[in-house]
Amino acid sequence: MSIVRWSPRGSWLDLRNEFDRMFDSIFNPRYEEETSLSAFNPAVDIIEEDKAYQIHVELPGLNKDDIKLSVKDNYLSISGEKKRESKIEDKNYQRTERIFGSFQRNFRLSDSVEADKIEAEFKEGILNIVVPKKKESLAKQIEVKVK
Amino acid sequence: MLITRWDPKLALSKYPYFFDRRFDSCLESNEDTLIPDFAPVVDIEEKDKQYVVTVELPGVKKDDVKIDLKDNVLTISGEKKMVRKIDEKNFHQSERIFGSFQRCFRLPELVDQQQISAEFKDGILNIAIPKSVAIQPKTIEIKVK
Repeated sequence: MSIVRWSPRGSWLDLRNEFDRMFDSIFNPRYEEETSLSAFNPAVDIIEEDKAYQIHVELPGLNKDDIKLSVKDNYLSISGEKKRESKIEDKNYQRTERIFGSFQRNFRLSDSVEADKIEAEFKEGILNIVVPKKKESLAKQIEVKVK
Repeated sequence: MLITRWDPKLALSKYPYFFDRRFDSCLESNEDTLIPDFAPVVDIEEKDKQYVVTVELPGVKKDDVKIDLKDNVLTISGEKKMVRKIDEKNFHQSERIFGSFQRCFRLPELVDQQQISAEFKDGILNIAIPKSVAIQPKTIEIKVK
């Protein structure tokens, strides 16, 4: 598995992750900075295809300009802010289930992807990120000759 | 208009402030309601002249959303489909939920049902429900002599 989700609030059941995180926070302080304490945590799907990884992030109601995508030290970071359409007094709300605020999701990229060629598209509230695999890591078909 | 005594029970049944909880209205409006796969989050906001219902439906096509009004219950239902069929083993991470959805809300009695309008943009469904003229706020000027 090449793209591993980096979880700021990993399950305690996942002991290995917890230990990884402990050691990371000791040896790599930057890791801690990435911790997102936001209540808004968009849902993400990661799908592996033959030539690329597809990352789908649910960001309903955001503008293209409110989303920031960056690659740094082999981490793909998706961050931004979900803003209310208009400033409204709380007393006008009959029901508030939607969550607003800033968000950040980080994913560690493997060496087998081309970080320079990552492309993204935002449509109908879904951010589609395409992370292409390197040519040398593409699946090869080897013909087996039976004599 | 008479000034009558405020009865909290009566207020509950008549007053528009109490929209129903998650599925209650669904069950009372259609007997054959299926349990949906997920319930999208909803904001309901009261403005001077209308109620605005906002539903988060990222990745849902306009044609896959159905808005229904029956016996004063507004039903928002539909299906969130995957763009294409993806083999489960190709998923490295799967947090999004796909499938059928439904939310129902009992509308306050005094709304203009003929004028309800909806707009769908960037994964957000906005439904505007105008209040009937009878409950729109009026400004009365008091003249001091």
